[in-house]
Amino acid sequence: MTEIINQIFALDLKMKKDSNESANRYLDRIYHEFETMGFQIVNPIGKSYRNEMTDVDANIIGDLNRHSKITKVLKPVIYQVENNETILLQKGIVIVE
Amino acid sequence: MKTINFAIDLGTTNSLIAKYDDGNIKIYNNPLGLKQTLPSCIAFRGNRTVIGDKALDYLEKDAENICMLFKRKMGTQDTYFVPSINKEMSPIELSSLILKELKNFVNDEDTLNSVVITIPASFDTIQSNATKKAGYMAGFKEVVLLQEPIAACLAFANTSTVEVTNKQNWIVYDFGGGTFDVALVEVNDRELKVTDNLGDNYLGGADFDNLIVEHIIVPFIEDKLGLTNLWKDLKSKETNYKGLYFELLKIAEEAKKELSHYEETEIELDIDIIDDNFYEQFVIKREQFESLISPKVEQTITFIQDVIKNNQLLNSQIERVILIGGSTYVPLIKKRIAEAIGVEVNSSIDPTSAVVHGAAYYAGSKPASVSEVEIEKEIIEDNAPEVKLFYEQNTRDLEELITGKINSDVANSFRIMRKDGGYDSGVKTLEDGSFSEFVPLLEGRLNQFKIQLLNAALDVIRTLDSVAINQGSYNVQGQPLPNDICMEVDDLDASATRLEKVFAKGSILPLKKRIYKTASKTILQQSKSNLIINIIEGKSKGLPSSGLSIGYIEISGKDLEEDLIKGTDIEIEIEVTESRDLKINVFLQSCDQEFKNVFSESERAISIGKINMEINTVLGDVEDLIKSNNSDENFEYSQQLETIRVGLIETQIAASLIDDNDVSDTKFQLDDKKRKLIQDFDDLTRNKVIANEIEEYRDTKSSLEYHLNKEENERFQEKYARIIKNEREVINSGNKYLIRSKIKELDELYDAIVQSSDENFISYFLNLKFCTDFSNQRKADRLFKQGDQAMEKQDYKSLRHIVYGLSALLPDYEKEKQKNFKDDSRTGLS
Repeated sequence: MTEIINQIFALDLKMKKDSNESANRYLDRIYHEFETMGFQIVNPIGKSYRNEMTDVDANIIGDLNRHSKITKVLKPVIYQVENNETILLQKGIVIVE
Repeated sequence: MKTINFAIDLGTTNSLIAKYDDGNIKIYNNPLGLKQTLPSCIAFRGNRTVIGDKALDYLEKDAENICMLFKRKMGTQDTYFVPSINKEMSPIELSSLILKELKNFVNDEDTLNSVVITIPASFDTIQSNATKKAGYMAGFKEVVLLQEPIAACLAFANTSTVEVTNKQNWIVYDFGGGTFDVALVEVNDRELKVTDNLGDNYLGGADFDNLIVEHIIVPFIEDKLGLTNLWKDLKSKETNYKGLYFELLKIAEEAKKELSHYEETEIELDIDIIDDNFYEQFVIKREQFESLISPKVEQTITFIQDVIKNNQLLNSQIERVILIGGSTYVPLIKKRIAEAIGVEVNSSIDPTSAVVHGAAYYAGSKPASVSEVEIEKEIIEDNAPEVKLFYEQNTRDLEELITGKINSDVANSFRIMRKDGGYDSGVKTLEDGSFSEFVPLLEGRLNQFKIQLLNAALDVIRTLDSVAINQGSYNVQGQPLPNDICMEVDDLDASATRLEKVFAKGSILPLKKRIYKTASKTILQQSKSNLIINIIEGKSKGLPSSGLSIGYIEISGKDLEEDLIKGTDIEIEIEVTESRDLKINVFLQSCDQEFKNVFSESERAISIGKINMEINTVLGDVEDLIKSNNSDENFEYSQQLETIRVGLIETQIAASLIDDNDVSDTKFQLDDKKRKLIQDFDDLTRNKVIANEIEEYRDTKSSLEYHLNKEENERFQEKYARIIKNEREVINSGNKYLIRSKIKELDELYDAIVQSSDENFISYFLNLKFCTDFSNQRKADRLFKQGDQAMEKQDYKSLRHIVYGLSALLPDYEKEKQKNFKDDSRTGLS
C-alpha cells in the first residue's frame, strides 16, 4: 500500500509542479479514501526541520540550524492508524536547506 | 538451563539486535526508525546526544562532533575529542552507547543481562577485549564474543539442510555499504573455525551509487544542458546545485536496486537545476551498470583468490561461498564469483541480517552463567526517581511543551520519544533537576510519549509511559457550536428523509468537512426534478423538518449541463467559519459541475415548496397518532396533538398564499412557525416512538431467537450475530431510523429462516386467519379452505403457496409508504 500512496503522492507533486489543477479533486478524493483506510499521509514541505523528527530521513544541504526548512519532499511520511494506535509506516524522504 | 538468547551485530556502519526464542529468531526493529538496523553513529550536541539515523544529519555541518566508524579504532589508544562536550571519547565508550541504544529496541519486559556480540574475524585479542569491555560498560553482566563469518555460516547452516561429515572449506564474502571482508572458514562435523581473512575497510556499495551518478547521470545532464565540470561542482562545498548531489545519489541507489532484479531500468530526472526545471527520462541497462562496477567487483575477487592461495588451497577445495552484506544483491557479484572460483555461490540468507541471525542461534545454545537473582538485588537498590510532569493534555497547536521536575540525585539526563516513532529528543542532560522540551504533534491524533530518565552512565533508571497529548481538541476558549449541524439525506429503507450529523454540538469553530454521497435518483437535464442540499442546525436525532435550515440549495434539471445519473458521486464540502458563515460547495461528478454557495445567518434561503412538503409529511403522522390515541381514549394527549395539527394546517394555508418571489419576511415567519410546531411534535412523540421501536426490536429479536435455537437453523447464526453486533450502539443512539433499519434487517432474516422450511408456514397460516382486511375476502376464504385441506393432508408445500397467495391479498403498508416517498419529497442524496 505504501507504494501506491507514494505513486499518488508523486503524481500529485508532478501535477502541482505543472500547475495542473484539473485532477486535484480526484487526488483529494483518493487521499480521503486512504484516510478512511487508516493511513495518515503527511507532507512536511515548508516545515522547520528539527533533528528530533524521526519521521523523516533528511538530506541536509549546508548548515543545519534553527532556520533549516524542509524544501523538498521526495517521499511523504505515512502513519497507519489501527485501533486508535498510530504507528509510523514510512519515513519521509526530504531535502533540508 | 537458561541460555543467553540475545545477540548483537555491532557493525562498522550498522548494528542490529536479535533474540533466539524457541527455535525462532526475532530481529528487533528500531522503535523509531522502522528499520532493523541502527547506524553506528553518534552525534554530540552539547547537552544532547543523538544516536543512529538522526546523528547522520549533522555529518555535513558538524563533523567534528560526530563519531562514526569507531569500530576500526577498537583496541587502540586513539580517542575522539568531541569539542561540544569538551571530552575525549574512547572507541569503547562510543561502542557502549550503541549497545545501550540497541537495548532500547527490546521490549521492556525482557531483562538483558547476557549477550553474544559479533566481531570481525580480523580482531585480535586486544580488540576483542575492548569489545567485551564495551558490553560490560553498556550494562551487560555477561558478554560472549563470536566471529562474524562464523555467525554467517551458522545462519546458513541452520536455515538449510546441509549435512557436513568431512572437513570442508567455506568462504564468507561480506560486502557491506562501506566495508569489504572475506573469510575462509573450516567446517567440520558441524564445527566451525575461521582459518584466514582479508578485507578492505574502504570498499562498499556506496561506491556503486557514486559511480552511477558520476559516469551515467552527470554526463547525461551535461550533454542535455551543455554544462561542464558538473560532477566536481556537485560535491563542492560552495556548490550552486544545492542538494542535487543527494537527490541524484538517491536516484542512483534506486536504479541500482532495480537493476538487481531487472535487465534495465528507467531513470526519471525531474530536478531543478540553475533555477530551471529539467525533466528527462532515459534507460540504463544492466550491462552498462555492470561494466561500471566491474573493476570494484574484480578487486573483491582478487581478495578471494588471495585468501585461497595464501592457505595453499585450490579453488576446487572450496565447497561453497556464502554471500552477506547489502551489496551482494547485485547479480554480477554472484556471477563473477561463480565464474572465478567455480563453486556453488549461496545467497539464500538475508545478507543484511545474516550475522545477527547466526549469532542469535549461537546465543540460543549457549548457557548463561549469570543468574537473575544476583541482578535483581542490584536493581532494588536503585530507588526509582520521583517525577512531576506538566503538559497540556489537549491542544490545537502542532507543538507542545512537556516540563518535568525530577527529585533524584542519580538522574542525570532524559529522553522523550513519541510512541508512533515520529519523534525522539535524543538523550539530553537535565538542568537543575528539570527539563522543558517542545514536542511536535501529529495532527488530529492522540500523541503518546515515552519518557526515560537516565543516570550519568546513560543507563535507563525510570521510564514514564503515560504521557498523552490530544492534538486537535481544545482546551482553550473557542466558539463552540450551540447545536448539531446536520445534512438532510434520503433514508431509502425507511422511505423518509433523515438527518446525518456533519458537526457535533460543542465542536469548536471554524469547522470544515468534506462528505461524499451518491445520487439516489437520476435528474435529467431540463427536467423539473431536483437535488436538495439542506443543511440544518438542530438535533441530529430529530426530524429534518424540526431543525433550522441554515443553508439550502436546490439544483434542478435546468441548472445541469449534463444528466445527473443515479449512483454517481456527489461531493459536498461544508464549512462553518468562525463568524458562523456557512459555505457549501457541491460538485457533481457525472456532470463535472460545481455549485458554490455562501450563506450567512442574516440571509436565509427558504422555499415555500419545501415548507409545504414538510408540513404534509408530518401532518399525516400527526393525524394517524390522533386517531390511535382517540381510540385508546388518551384524550389529553390527542388534544395536544390536535393543537399542533391545527397550527400546521394554518401555516400551510398561509404558505399557499405567497410565492417564492415574495420579498417580505413572511416566509421566514412561516418557516419558524412550522419548525416550532414540528419540534413540539417531535418532543411530544420522540420518547414514545423510540420506546415503541425498542420494544418492537426486542419482540422481533426474541421471536427470531426462538427459530434460531432450532438445530436445523444453525446456519443462520452467523448472520444473526452480524446483525446484532452493534445492537447496543443502535439502541442507545436514540435514533428511531437506525433502530427501524435494524428491525428491518432482523425481519428479513426471520423471513429467510421461515421460508427455508415448508412446515414453518403452518403458524403463518393460522395467524392469517385472524386478519380481516384482505383486499378480496372471497378469494381469501377460498384459499383458507384449500389451506385447511392441505393441513389435513400434511401437504405443507401446497400450504406454503396458499400462504403466499393470502399474503398478497393483504395491504402492503411498506409499499404504500415507498409510493408516497416520491421524487419531490426526496433530497436526492443517499
